[in-house]
Amino acid sequence: MEIKREDIIHLGKLSNFDLSEKEIESLSKDISEIIKYISQLDELNTDGVEPTYQVFEMENVWRSDEILEQDASMEQLLALTKEEKDNQIKVPKVL
Amino acid sequence: MKYVPTIGIECHVQLCTKTKLFSEVDNDARGKEPNSCVSPVDYALPGMLPRLNGEAVRLAILAGRAMNCEINSYSRFDRKHYFYPDSPKGYQITQFYHPIIGVGYVELPSGTKVRIEHAHLEGDAGKLTHFDGYSLVDLNRVDTPLIEIVSMPDIHSAKDAHDYCKELWRLMRYAGVTYGDLYNGNMRFDVNTSLAPEGSDKLGTRTEVKNLNSFRSVERAVEYEIARQTKVLESGEKVVQQTLGWSDATGKTSPQRSKEVAADYRYMPEPDLPPIRLSREFIETESAKLPLMPASYRAKFGSVIPTDTLEILLDYPELMSRLGEIAPHAISLVSNLFTSVLLAEEKSAEYLNDLPTAAELSELAEMNEKKELSSTATKEVFLRLFDPQMKGRGARQIAKELGLIQENNLGALEKIVDVVLAKPETKKAQDDFRNGEEKVIGFLVGQVMKESHGKANPSAVQEILRKKLA
Repeated sequence: MEIKREDIIHLGKLSNFDLSEKEIESLSKDISEIIKYISQLDELNTDGVEPTYQVFEMENVWRSDEILEQDASMEQLLALTKEEKDNQIKVPKVL
Repeated sequence: MKYVPTIGIECHVQLCTKTKLFSEVDNDARGKEPNSCVSPVDYALPGMLPRLNGEAVRLAILAGRAMNCEINSYSRFDRKHYFYPDSPKGYQITQFYHPIIGVGYVELPSGTKVRIEHAHLEGDAGKLTHFDGYSLVDLNRVDTPLIEIVSMPDIHSAKDAHDYCKELWRLMRYAGVTYGDLYNGNMRFDVNTSLAPEGSDKLGTRTEVKNLNSFRSVERAVEYEIARQTKVLESGEKVVQQTLGWSDATGKTSPQRSKEVAADYRYMPEPDLPPIRLSREFIETESAKLPLMPASYRAKFGSVIPTDTLEILLDYPELMSRLGEIAPHAISLVSNLFTSVLLAEEKSAEYLNDLPTAAELSELAEMNEKKELSSTATKEVFLRLFDPQMKGRGARQIAKELGLIQENNLGALEKIVDVVLAKPETKKAQDDFRNGEEKVIGFLVGQVMKESHGKANPSAVQEILRKKLA
């Protein structure tokens, strides 16, 4: 599968990345390589094989609806952000 | 050309669990600091894993059954990827391929049936507030459990769109799965509207109005879209498929940022959450906890309570459940008292939190029926049943204390009537009545009422007077 220039620009937009011409070019090449590598899986015939969602055969792993004290405080979590204001995370306007 | 509107609605309902869908942090952020109800899981710190809240599964079963839906024995979660600061994970955990709630239907008061395509569990996103040049992010709402209810395009008018949303709101509150506070976004509606020429079997191009939070704005937005699209089509142009926002202030829809198309969401199975498998027994046991729904109350009270009164009362699940407990012959009177005395005076919110018992209400109705209480006195005692000072005393005790019980004892009444008739000032009225002046009976009844200090039953008094003056 060939990755076109427009695909990279579209992916960049979805991920909110500003890509330079040089990056678009090298990413096109890299992503094409990655997909080619992964595409080896296509050689397998999976007709009639149920999709596998997980390899552990677990089901119904539920917890009870009880509030637990959190390991991290609001201050600790907010400290991880680049910028905060009035206990909120300040981000550039994204629309 | 005449156009037929077709409307489908997606509704997000916030579930009233104690903790979030995937972490053990407080789910009730009302009145709390921004970012104070957030766990490392909600923050998407590296290595954090979601853990499914079993209560959300139970509430989803109740919500589904409230809409006459099948509950799927197998369901699981998927990741829906998008980039936006309201989601630190970079994806929403939802149920794209295997939702927990299958097909069903909601019946509107008008009798229209709206089919439910499916409904699924998912986590809510955080809240953004936009300022000049920057935005602030509050993650309290991240992974509040939601069910998203997807209707079939079975709605064909703004009125039915309004009624469908309102009925969903009622169903979810009767089922007890949400606080149902629309003002605070507990239920949000996305409305898809398209027009097709009458008789056409193909649907037209649709627009989606996002994030409506009142029944009235749903109705207005649909009305607006129908009018706007009609104009577009009549001028020979084409409706553009797009996402719109609605402004209550301007009464108009306007285009919003175009969202990613489905392929861009890169849906993939959520590997961190094992699937949900529900046995028939479990589904039945949980479904059995569903209380009576509005449709059952309509069937039960339809012949006793007038439809317009009943539709008002149905907005209050606790009240309906109390009505269901009182003596059948008392229902008509008590339902009238609620509509005319409480709801009409907009006292509902504070009053309905603490309703009188079924026994108190039945007793009150009985006293009214036996004419021990006049209709004015009945209303008075009814209001006192809610009075914290008088709580628990019962209708009879309160009526006694307030001296509101009417004298019905014929012997006693007759004595009072005799006293009044013996008074010289009533002589002329008595003569006038005997001479055929019908209306003076009112004056005489009034005199007897006065003599009895308002406790005589006026219709009984009139009867005795007529007999005596014949």
